[in-house]
Amino acid sequence: MLEIKPILRSLMRSKAGAAMLIFQIIITTAIVSNAAFIINDRMNYLSQETGYPEDEIFSFSVMTVGEVDNLSTLLEGTEQLIRDIPGVINANLINNVPVSGGGSASGFGSQPASERGPDTRAAYFTADENIFETLGVTISEGRNFRSDEVIVGSTMNDVPQVVIVSKGFADTHFPEGNGLGQTIYFGNAPMQIIGIVDKMKGPWLKDSAVDSVVVMPNARASMRQKFIVRTEADQRDIIMRDIESVLLEESNKRVVTYMRSMDAAKANYNASDILMVRMMTVIICVIVLVTALGIFGMTVFNISKRTKQIGTRRALGARKSAILRYFLVENTIICIVSAAASYASSLFLGEYMMSEFSLPALDNSYIVVTIVCVFAISLLSVLFPALKAANIAPSIATRSI
Amino acid sequence: MLSMKNISKVYQTEKVQTHALRDFNLEVAEGEFIAVTGPSGSGKTTFLNIAGMLEPHTGGQYMLDGIDVGKLSDNQTADLRNQKIGFIFQGFNLIPDLNLFENIEVPLRYAGIKSAERKRRIVECLEKVGLASRAKHLPQQLSGGQQQRVAIARALAGKPRFLLADEPTGNLDSLMARQVMELLESINEEGATIIMVTHDAELARRAPRNIQVVDGQLADFTLYQNKTIEAVANATAMEV
Repeated sequence: MLEIKPILRSLMRSKAGAAMLIFQIIITTAIVSNAAFIINDRMNYLSQETGYPEDEIFSFSVMTVGEVDNLSTLLEGTEQLIRDIPGVINANLINNVPVSGGGSASGFGSQPASERGPDTRAAYFTADENIFETLGVTISEGRNFRSDEVIVGSTMNDVPQVVIVSKGFADTHFPEGNGLGQTIYFGNAPMQIIGIVDKMKGPWLKDSAVDSVVVMPNARASMRQKFIVRTEADQRDIIMRDIESVLLEESNKRVVTYMRSMDAAKANYNASDILMVRMMTVIICVIVLVTALGIFGMTVFNISKRTKQIGTRRALGARKSAILRYFLVENTIICIVSAAASYASSLFLGEYMMSEFSLPALDNSYIVVTIVCVFAISLLSVLFPALKAANIAPSIATRSI
Repeated sequence: MLSMKNISKVYQTEKVQTHALRDFNLEVAEGEFIAVTGPSGSGKTTFLNIAGMLEPHTGGQYMLDGIDVGKLSDNQTADLRNQKIGFIFQGFNLIPDLNLFENIEVPLRYAGIKSAERKRRIVECLEKVGLASRAKHLPQQLSGGQQQRVAIARALAGKPRFLLADEPTGNLDSLMARQVMELLESINEEGATIIMVTHDAELARRAPRNIQVVDGQLADFTLYQNKTIEAVANATAMEV
């Protein structure tokens, strides 16, 4: 005996309290479902594998000051000096550091830029044949650069004739899977794909094309040159501590800056997202708590307002379980009425977030799960006061309150 | 039908022990109409609560229709209350959010009576109290006398053997009080046993049997012979 009809009619006759609860449940569901979706989206992004041995890699910049006869020769010497440090696996000059949040990207087309054909956006790194060992990635198809294919210099005027691309780029640009050996164009300059790396990330983990990477064999030296170094994992911190003095010993016309391990750089890049995830988690907890307290408070208020009525019901033959059921059914009706509006409001908020903040479309399953969770939480919130109500003595019916 | 032997009720707080009823003995036969009077705080309402199983007694034995009420579980007590007893309260105790039909329906739902039968009984009871045309009205749309008639209809709907009335006319003016009393008398004439707590000596005198509660004990009784019932005589003889 669920008394659905009388409860429903009773709710209809005193709408204010029920309407407030319904409104609160709608707002809670809309915010929690969207926040949970965003958190999950961010968590997926934060937990993505980079493919790099992050705990073995670090990078730094060398700013050369004063007149230098041949910068390329100087920096190549430095590169070799670093490789010779015990515990270093490899080191390389590089234009930008992967997963650091700063880098270069361009469109790479199947035709020269002048012919305006379709292109695929990719982050690009310029380095020599040592870069793959330095980054700890392997070429799964094709081959590495030969040293004679590497262009040494300090400008981008000479464009290399070969490139190695990530599988992400190859699969996007050549969906048939026949990227190896094909020619792509960097501007109007043709470059043949001689190798494909299975997994490689660009500088920006948030980028939708984060797996799309092109590596060009260009040992480009600059007055502010980035180096990337891979060491034995247990040696990295020691080498990071000592490397500056080694470099200054070689030449004192330089300043070593931006020394950062790859995992620290990644953490720094992700810091705002981690903060956002934490904040949203707190918001979800607070809003769910507020809703639970609201339902709890409203039920306690309803019960204190209806003490005599509950006593009368008990006097008329209601078992304790009937009183408990009354409040649980009342709450269930409120939740069911809220569900449709909650679903619509969650979708609306999701659409708004998508259009205003370029977030992905809200998955319906998040709304459904949130509605179920809010329902469970509201039932739990009602349970304690309802149990208290069930224990109201029937003799209250004859007392003056 | 109703037998109370040496019933006591003690309310215990941290520091104070209050004996609301002590050595309370009463036998009620089927079809009686008993008025219970006594000064405020004498234990009338406690007696009514125990008779109606609204609260447990502390000592003694209470038998209702041969059932030892003291040995029942909470659920069994609720069921027995629902099946055998109809309550009429001083403040009517109608549920304000429910209309008259729904108010009368409340105990019938707890009794598990089917919808069609519920409807039949509610209509019948509303007709009996003269409010059939106002079934969809809310309690607050009625006068005090009308509300008490609805409460009587609610008490009657479950076809109880006992009607317990706690100051049923306490909130009514004299004209309405008389109407309600006449209604109770007619219900008693149809066979229901009624125990009515009242402060109103005039109304009490209209009941065939009158008992008085003083300091938690049955102090005195007077049998008004204008509506003699043999069973009453037997019962009162036992009390003497």
